[in-house]
Amino acid sequence: MNNFNRAKIQVSGQKRSVLDMARSRLMLLSLFFILTYIVVAARIVDLTIIQGEMKKGEETVSMLEAEPVQKKTAHRADILDRNGIILARSLKTASLAADPELIPDKQIVAKDLVKIFPELTYGETLKKLQEARRFVWIKRNMTPDDQYKILYLGHPGLSFMEEERRLYPQGPLAAHVVGFTNTDDRGLGGLEAGFDKLLMESGEPLMTTIDVRVQHALRRETANAIKKFNAVAGAGVVMNVNTGEILAAVSLPDFDPHKVNDKDKNTMFNRLTLGVFEPGSTFKIFTTAAAIENAGAGMSATYDATKPLKVGRFTISDYHPEKRVMTLPEVFMHSSNIGSVKMAQQVGTEQFQNFLSDLGLFKAPDIEIPEVGAPLIPKPWKEINTMTAAFGHGIAVSPLQLVTASASIMNGGILVKPTLVLDKTLKKDKGNSVRVVSEKTAHRMRQLMRLVVTDGTGGKADVAGYNVGGKTGTAEKDSGGKYDQNKLRSSFMAFFPAENPKYAVYILVDEPKGNKESYGYATAGWVAAPAVKKVIESIVAIEGIKPQDSDELGGTLDAYVKSKEEIAKEKQLAALAAH
Amino acid sequence: MAKPVILSGEGSIIQMLKYINWGLVLLVTLLASIGFTALYSAAGGSFDPWAGKQMIRYSVFMIGTIIIALVDIRFWYRIAYPFYFTCLVLLVIVDLMGVIGMGAQRWINLGFIQIQPSELTKIAVVMALAKYFHSADAQDMKSLRFLLIGVSFLIAPFLLVATQPDLGTSGVIVMAGLAMFFLAGAPIWIFLVGAAAAAAAAPMGWLLLHDYQKQRVLTFLDPERDPLGAGYHITQSKIALGSGGFEGKGFLKGTQSHLDFLPEKQTDFIFTLWVEEWGFFGGVFILMVIGMILGYGAWIAMRCRHSFGRLLAFGLMINFSIYVFINVSMVMGLIPVVGVPLPLVSYGGTAMMSVMIGFGLMMSCNVYKDAKLPRM
Repeated sequence: MNNFNRAKIQVSGQKRSVLDMARSRLMLLSLFFILTYIVVAARIVDLTIIQGEMKKGEETVSMLEAEPVQKKTAHRADILDRNGIILARSLKTASLAADPELIPDKQIVAKDLVKIFPELTYGETLKKLQEARRFVWIKRNMTPDDQYKILYLGHPGLSFMEEERRLYPQGPLAAHVVGFTNTDDRGLGGLEAGFDKLLMESGEPLMTTIDVRVQHALRRETANAIKKFNAVAGAGVVMNVNTGEILAAVSLPDFDPHKVNDKDKNTMFNRLTLGVFEPGSTFKIFTTAAAIENAGAGMSATYDATKPLKVGRFTISDYHPEKRVMTLPEVFMHSSNIGSVKMAQQVGTEQFQNFLSDLGLFKAPDIEIPEVGAPLIPKPWKEINTMTAAFGHGIAVSPLQLVTASASIMNGGILVKPTLVLDKTLKKDKGNSVRVVSEKTAHRMRQLMRLVVTDGTGGKADVAGYNVGGKTGTAEKDSGGKYDQNKLRSSFMAFFPAENPKYAVYILVDEPKGNKESYGYATAGWVAAPAVKKVIESIVAIEGIKPQDSDELGGTLDAYVKSKEEIAKEKQLAALAAH
Repeated sequence: MAKPVILSGEGSIIQMLKYINWGLVLLVTLLASIGFTALYSAAGGSFDPWAGKQMIRYSVFMIGTIIIALVDIRFWYRIAYPFYFTCLVLLVIVDLMGVIGMGAQRWINLGFIQIQPSELTKIAVVMALAKYFHSADAQDMKSLRFLLIGVSFLIAPFLLVATQPDLGTSGVIVMAGLAMFFLAGAPIWIFLVGAAAAAAAAPMGWLLLHDYQKQRVLTFLDPERDPLGAGYHITQSKIALGSGGFEGKGFLKGTQSHLDFLPEKQTDFIFTLWVEEWGFFGGVFILMVIGMILGYGAWIAMRCRHSFGRLLAFGLMINFSIYVFINVSMVMGLIPVVGVPLPLVSYGGTAMMSVMIGFGLMMSCNVYKDAKLPRM
């Protein structure tokens, strides 16, 4: 019995010791928590009282001792055109704010405010005044007259904040270049965004390369062409081919920088620099230059364009089929797709790619505004891509890239960097100017471009006495994976004077529709070339450029171009021989 | 001591409700109300978008908590292991989803609610270990084999959560688990050896950390090295805390938080916002409320007559307190930044849910503190 009892006691004793152990462990852990608590509490004391309250004291002392400093109001600098005409300027204005806590009778104040600012509604104004905050905006940027009326009211709790308002005296004229700011004066587009920091900090006006007068002419003519041919959009640029300076840049439709609605993609979209398009025949400038430079093609080189080219399921044919063997100048002036494809094949895929890449067509251009689009390059680049690129399809670049690359050939062969600012240190693309084609090739291209205007598709761009050279580009728009013959993108790329060009002028018209005057045609020669001509006429008047008596390049390639009579005669002879 | 044993089915619901710890419910509601006030302020004096939703959420969860408290503790005892393994399966599922989704994946979307298995796992590990140690006697606690099996309860969830990657939560799981071992009476020398091994393995662990995690540690050691980047949170948080002073700037007037200097003010940095506006006194008040909740938890644990309840209640209390300490220490710059919210105060449903389930179980331990549980 004793044994049994002992055993029982032992068991319960063991149980007790387990329970004691558990309790003591609980106590130990609790102690650990209390310790951690003390550390945390000590830290609160350290941060809020020792560091916080002490610092508060220090601040007061240093503020009392500090010299009063001139309050520096950040003044956003002007943006000017190349002649100092203001494109953007900040004006000081007053804005009205309220401290609801200090306003005893909110209804009366709201009523008075609505009287002065009819655009405010009573309900919303009262709601603002009833907010549990110490600061609410009532009206940003008001007129001095309204400010006087508010002062006259004499309500407590209303106060004025000095603010700046950005004004664009030229309105939408250069909206896509200059850009715009938000209510807090930060640049959100164009040069306002590209030089936001500089404009806020330097105080020095930003001189752009834009010439307001040329800008006006370009915008007017592009807009006219859009209107006349009932087109949806357009873009244009005037560039100095030697310096890369952009004198005028337009993307239409554009917007009023004072009333920006950035959800309206159609007006906000910069078609000149951000949009990339299949360039069409203007791209033949590069194909032809590559054939002359890299494949040693001379003016007497011939290309068989008797019948369309079949590649897989595609057929490459000509828009104005000549159906004969043509010389290089004939291919260029008649804008033969078949001939251009053969030229590109003569150059070879790798060399052709390198040539285009050297011209900067494979990467987004460096320019001082943020709206820059990267080109769409086929990857992988196969033989077929060389063939389509030869006449500007299957590859998409921005008009700015297209103009820059063409200018780099036409200026004598030196790669040019596009820029919108006069100060060279601010220029975004500071790369070295390298040679891309020889002077001889450049000269040949000038001859060919002049030929297009004297004898080819670009006749409507000629300005007597100014020897315009150029190239048309009519591309069918890609709609749903198919090319649509009725939706065109017509463009013209001009250079003048052709013998030693100083200016490049380019206009693109999106979806023009033929009219009576153009006999129903909506192609580049009818739509874009006449618009370019008018811009050139304006430029020569603005810049006071004298007309020339001579046309150095005109007719220099006649030996390589068959006249209509010659062609007719040849056809007759061939028919006779067949008999 | 002569209270009747309360069993499920005995007595009406009204009678059972008497045994709920209404003091604890009150304290928890007080803490949550501090959260509502802070969230109202964080939104610039508005119930939208945070405070209103948080209040609705809290009310719903509170009902759930009471229901959990009334369910017989033996039911919880019985489902401890199945619940644990369900959580493991859910963790594997989110890990796999993460692999497919090419990124960190911590959620399972059930349509009406998103659940974060790692949160449930915290509770499941505590429940499973409480059940495991419930049947242990002094002999078992000295057996290395028995202890190693216990450790295996920790390893799987730790690895699964750590690979999500969510180092914060996996750390909490391990810490709570180790505390359970300590409470259950594992020999002290094991902890000493473990600590030494951890110290030795630390350099190895450093190599396994992600770059952003390394950044956090380095920045913690010297916030000045990156005041605008990774050090920004801490620097801003300390400025905001300091600017509160004794009495704070006043309700709705905390400039640092309201002017958006303070990031994540409605979630991880809510404590900072609170102290900026209510000062040192506000900070001490919130810690007192939390301290009383923890004290309540410890009291429930000590009064419990079965080891399962004792271990479960204390383990859950540890879970809650680890949250609090990590969050509060983080915002005050005592430890590196880890994304751990302040439970019940920070905006967010997941952490609130797991903490409220924890309180429910804790109260169940109290309601059924005299229940007889089988020994395996």
